[in-house]
Amino acid sequence: MVEAFAVASGKGGTGKTTTTLALGMALAERYDVTVVDADTGMANLLFHAGLADAPVTLQDLLAPDGSAVDVADATYERHGMRVVPCGTSLAAFERSDPARLREVVAELAADTDVLLLDSPATLASKSAVLPVVLADRVVVVTQPTIPALSDALKVQEYATSYGTGVAGVLFNRVRGDLGSVESQAERYFEGPTLGSVPDSDAARAARDAGEPLLAHAPDSDAARAFREVAAGVDPEPKAAGDVADRFRSAVVPERP
Amino acid sequence: MTGDAPDAAGPSPTPASASTPPSTDRLPRGELVRAGVATAFVTPLSAALDDGLTGYLRIEPGEALLGGDGGEAVVTLDDGVPVLAYDAGGDADGPAALAALAGAEPVRVESYRLPASTLAALHDPAADAPTPFRVAPDAPARELAGDDALAERTRAAAPDDREGPGDHDALAAFLADEERVEAVRADARAEARARADEWGLTDQLDTE
Repeated sequence: MVEAFAVASGKGGTGKTTTTLALGMALAERYDVTVVDADTGMANLLFHAGLADAPVTLQDLLAPDGSAVDVADATYERHGMRVVPCGTSLAAFERSDPARLREVVAELAADTDVLLLDSPATLASKSAVLPVVLADRVVVVTQPTIPALSDALKVQEYATSYGTGVAGVLFNRVRGDLGSVESQAERYFEGPTLGSVPDSDAARAARDAGEPLLAHAPDSDAARAFREVAAGVDPEPKAAGDVADRFRSAVVPERP
Repeated sequence: MTGDAPDAAGPSPTPASASTPPSTDRLPRGELVRAGVATAFVTPLSAALDDGLTGYLRIEPGEALLGGDGGEAVVTLDDGVPVLAYDAGGDADGPAALAALAGAEPVRVESYRLPASTLAALHDPAADAPTPFRVAPDAPARELAGDDALAERTRAAAPDDREGPGDHDALAAFLADEERVEAVRADARAEARARADEWGLTDQLDTE
């Protein structure tokens, strides 16, 4: 039984990777969770997850001869969840065949409850939009600014255009009091406002330490807020075969 | 475009106070230090900060450049840090002026230098009743440019006592404009469908 979530923002710098790993760790207390760095063009999840030296990554699975590599070899048990990092080699990126992402995700979907796809911070290419197209629901991450919220609305409209549901919107890196913004925003998003996470030095320190925030500073205000957000995300299990089949039958993305 | 604005060497304009909009009708013209069309707000805002410009930016939104009636907006600066904002096109003050300007690129921006003494009465929060035109120092960088690094630099450059209104008032003003938010959503839906066609994803679209 599995539900696939795309964690997406549209705009960069919203703390999407921090969010993906925080939600993953919090949900791992109740579910079997797998996190995938689907941002193959700007991979950075490996730095957040202490996997900078990972010998095998998603890039190896996406290589033309990637079928010789076992998905399990690029899957790491970290902090109570499974993590599939993506490498940052430009040469490997150029060699990679994004079409294979479908197979990898389909295989992962067969063996987990919650699949979190850390999505690219853009909607400008077919590869970038694919996690949003294929996921069951999208968790929209935004900072409380007009440009970020406009991009968040854009992600939502892309998602719903493809029949992808909206799990909710999360305000991240919040400075000061949001005032009426949360309730105002709720009128425009298909899902609820999941919560707001304060801007935190702890999040930056965690990234520098190569640890997810919830492992590095579990008692920080930001970590507490992320756990509250996760409590509001109620995965709706589907037959694993459905998700796997959807990914398998998905259109082939173009080469990067 | 600035034909109605008094020249720096001409007679002094009406003295501004906290309750009168910081518009080009009210401000002395000052010395033009830079002018051009910006495709992103980060360019004129970071240039003003780097120069430590005291004066104002006169901003003409893209729709005005294309012949629409977009009016003009003014953001005043003290040592490169934004203090007041007024959008004459929509008669919007402070945070609401930023909300009105957000996403208006390309914009034509003229940067003018003024003596600090000319702006002192307008900028001094203790001089008069709280002005509705005041913005948080980093609000233009956040809300117009969407640039965290520039916002951080601007905050660092601002005096400690230079507080604006609520941190998120501009976003609240944006969200209060239902018609505008719905337009953003409608544009995104149209874009999603156009790109689906371009990318061969039409079969994946939800047609219900």
